[in-house]
Amino acid sequence: MKALLTLLAISSTAAHCTSDSFTEELFIKPLYTEHIYSHFHFSTIWNTDLFSEKFRHTHLFPRALGEIIKRHNVQELHLSLTAGLWRYETWGYPVTSAAPGAELWAWFKSDTEDVNSNWKDLASSLSGLICASFNFIDSSNSVSPQYSFWPNGVINEQKVNSSFLRYSSLPREIVCTENLTPWKKLLPCESKKGLASLLNSGYIHNTRYHSLSIHFRPICRDPKCKFTSIEVQQSVDLVYDYLILGSRNWSVRKLFGQGILGPCPLAKSSTVYVDVSSNSTFPFQLSPEPHEFVYSSRGGYESKFAKYEITEQPLALAANYIDKPSVVINSPPALHANQYLTGYGQELGGIVTKLFNNHWNTLDVVVLQNIPWYVPIYLHTLKILSNGVVLEPLSLKYIPGKLRERPYYLEIVLTLPPRSTTLISINFEHVFLKWTEYPPDASHGFYISSSVISSLLPLARNYTGLPQDATMIVDSFNKSGYGYLVQVRTEAMVVTLPTPDFSMPYNVICLACTVVALAFGPLHNITTKRLVLKPDNKEGLVGKIKQKLDVIKSKLTGTKEKSEDSSSK
Amino acid sequence: MSTLIIYFLGAFVRYWLITSEYQNVIAERIEISTPLNSWKRVTEGLHLLKLGIYPYAGDSLHESPLNLLAFNCLVKIFGEYLHIVFVVCDLLTSHLLYMSAKKYMEQIRKTQERNKANYAADAKDLLLTDKDFALSPIYVCVVYLFNLYTIFNCVGMTTTVFGNLFTALFLMALNYGSLFAALPLAIVISQSFYPILLLSPLFLHFVVTRKSYIKAGAAVVLCVMFWSIITYLCYRIYDRWDFVENTYGFILTVPDLRPNIGLFWYFFIEMFEHFRSLFIYSFQINVTILYLIPLSIRFRQDPMLLATSLLSLTAIFKSYPCLGDIGFVLSLYPCWKHLFNYIQQGFLVSCCFLVTTILGPTVWYLWIYSGSANANFYFGVTLAFATAQIFLITDILFSYTKREFSLIYGRIRKLNSKKAQLMLE
Repeated sequence: MKALLTLLAISSTAAHCTSDSFTEELFIKPLYTEHIYSHFHFSTIWNTDLFSEKFRHTHLFPRALGEIIKRHNVQELHLSLTAGLWRYETWGYPVTSAAPGAELWAWFKSDTEDVNSNWKDLASSLSGLICASFNFIDSSNSVSPQYSFWPNGVINEQKVNSSFLRYSSLPREIVCTENLTPWKKLLPCESKKGLASLLNSGYIHNTRYHSLSIHFRPICRDPKCKFTSIEVQQSVDLVYDYLILGSRNWSVRKLFGQGILGPCPLAKSSTVYVDVSSNSTFPFQLSPEPHEFVYSSRGGYESKFAKYEITEQPLALAANYIDKPSVVINSPPALHANQYLTGYGQELGGIVTKLFNNHWNTLDVVVLQNIPWYVPIYLHTLKILSNGVVLEPLSLKYIPGKLRERPYYLEIVLTLPPRSTTLISINFEHVFLKWTEYPPDASHGFYISSSVISSLLPLARNYTGLPQDATMIVDSFNKSGYGYLVQVRTEAMVVTLPTPDFSMPYNVICLACTVVALAFGPLHNITTKRLVLKPDNKEGLVGKIKQKLDVIKSKLTGTKEKSEDSSSK
Repeated sequence: MSTLIIYFLGAFVRYWLITSEYQNVIAERIEISTPLNSWKRVTEGLHLLKLGIYPYAGDSLHESPLNLLAFNCLVKIFGEYLHIVFVVCDLLTSHLLYMSAKKYMEQIRKTQERNKANYAADAKDLLLTDKDFALSPIYVCVVYLFNLYTIFNCVGMTTTVFGNLFTALFLMALNYGSLFAALPLAIVISQSFYPILLLSPLFLHFVVTRKSYIKAGAAVVLCVMFWSIITYLCYRIYDRWDFVENTYGFILTVPDLRPNIGLFWYFFIEMFEHFRSLFIYSFQINVTILYLIPLSIRFRQDPMLLATSLLSLTAIFKSYPCLGDIGFVLSLYPCWKHLFNYIQQGFLVSCCFLVTTILGPTVWYLWIYSGSANANFYFGVTLAFATAQIFLITDILFSYTKREFSLIYGRIRKLNSKKAQLMLE
């Protein structure tokens, strides 16, 4: 009997072991400028059905996340917390792009009844899970884009209905250690073992750009897609500046404060890839020698990666540049964008999005703008100029915003002419808020979140993004496809709204009511009283003074008489 | 001939400004364009309509659907020459005001003839002469044409131009004693709601001057009927009721706190949240029903004066007032040119108007553009402006009662051969 029980226990754990897997990867790429990019990629796949799974018991999959997903009927979830701005023009494309601040988008299951309340609750739960201000997300700053965001994973329906999608971003969110710690706790080994142990807040917040993200989706278990699994990808993107590091020669110890001490014992694979494609222009020597070189040909571009399998043996990875630094001409990627505010004063203004197409052919792009309700835009002022020529959008989706209720949602589909700069400008008015609606530092300004520009690039130059069916970075090698999806996020903007005098409420109430009373008094008199002649008692100022003097005089003389009387007595 | 020159000059000034580069600057002024009447918002609404987006989905548009349809037709017909429509409408308004003032002066003459026997012996000087009767309407017209406020209102291409046109039409029809007055009144009510107060002068006119309760009742019923028809048509255009929230709802609940020349904006920016609804109710009651009944009783003999004072009070106290409303009321005052002798605060009020008109844009610039002033400055100017208007209307009403008194009891202020004073009791 005992033996049977043990056997059962062993078989059940074995079943669990085979049903989920965890991989960890670190991808390091020297950027063409004075920066180095490192990307941590942790993915967990669990062979279970999203619809029937109750998340009562999990093995490698983070249960805290699973419970939230179950409770709020989530089909797919993508969240990121970012500090700094990814410079597409010089850095190329990241593996996962993210908007400055906090960004969250989720697809809900098609049987969800009240998407809005689920969305708000989901955001609040996530804010508790990773200590970020996601609780400020509600329907007043969320949109349901029709073109920009599609489900990344498996869907049951033939048609995608964007009413089950919500997208929102909080550009003011500050990302710090308090977000990193709970984020690391979602990993199977937390930060105790494996690559995650490199994520020391003292080092990773010392970067030009850092971004934490969690992507959850259901995926196909096999090519036929008869069964589905669920997958969570957690990644950290870091861009170090050589100036901050002190030299161009980098090492894992310099970047993260310690060497790689070993893999996470729960991980199926634990690998480091270093992009050495730039080695021909900027020769550097890796030490120790990589275990093998991986060649990847993707979208017309060849890349070479040095691969290190992490073993129990500590690994002190370092790179030494052989040549002196030289100036290189930046070749920007096919598509990048900027966004800025125009106008001066606090009455009228404009938002300009500048799209650069450096490709030799036309590019179809989707521009999504989620403009907060406190920046009311006028659609009739929308101008799209490409190299000075008016460009007609292929499609335009617009839902006007409502004061304190709904943001302005604008999505434009455009065909950018080859080698062009396209300006999308729109005018807005500054609103005047109630005094309680201003944040404590009212003059700091209000944020306008970045716009998202999506496109399928025909070539994979400067492209490191994962294909849709990829779980790991290694899946993206030699993976040429029809197009390479990029989502370029622009800068977030700050607009200063005119402020009232916060110390004045009582005075304003008193003064305005006085003016109302000024009308009420005379009108009340005119309408309720009648004119009569009255004897004039006024004698002018001199007469009044004389009268007063007389009174005093009489008093004085009266007292004198009195005192005389008393003395005589 | 001279009147023609006046009209021509008025049209020229407007046309010159409306085609000049200043048009944009004037149209963006918050004193002239409020969320309720700005042409920019109408353009936005028409643009959304063109794209097939429901224009009342957002909160940029506060015109009724029927008005939007009319503006759409106007834009389609006139295209680039749309500004001429505004100039012509403004000229038409001035002419309608001229006609109504003329008719009103005739009524005054009749009343004067009728009551002459009751007047005191020394009140002969107070009687109006033919010259007065002839001049007043011209003054009304001239003030409307050359008043900076109305000129800017027209140049700013606000929809108040049309509101003023229909109000003028109403006043004319009222003075001519026509039941037709109900239609323009229904149109202005559907545009800006507050003119609903003018039902009282409409009713009283037929009661007092036509001595007919039936006609009076019919006028009010007609107006309400027209208004219901307009509202129903507005509903039929999109088969949706939510335009009500964007038009009447917007006027009554004051959600947009963009500064204007009224009293609402700063008051409700600085309002404590739990008192907000209380004060919105009290401010709306103040402008709608508080003065309606007392004034209607007191000035029932003179519906035109009643209409003017109600228009003036709404122009001061309504939620989104603009200079166009005030210009319209100011141009009506010359009808009571004969009262100006009794006015006590004329100098103060005119100085106040002058100073606030100059100071308003100045402190606005300092606050919004150079950041060296704050909201209190502009608020102070609007307070002074409102006070000046209040002084003006109360002064005119006071003067009216004083003149009434003098006509009957004479001009000598003596009681039992002792010096006496005229007092309200």
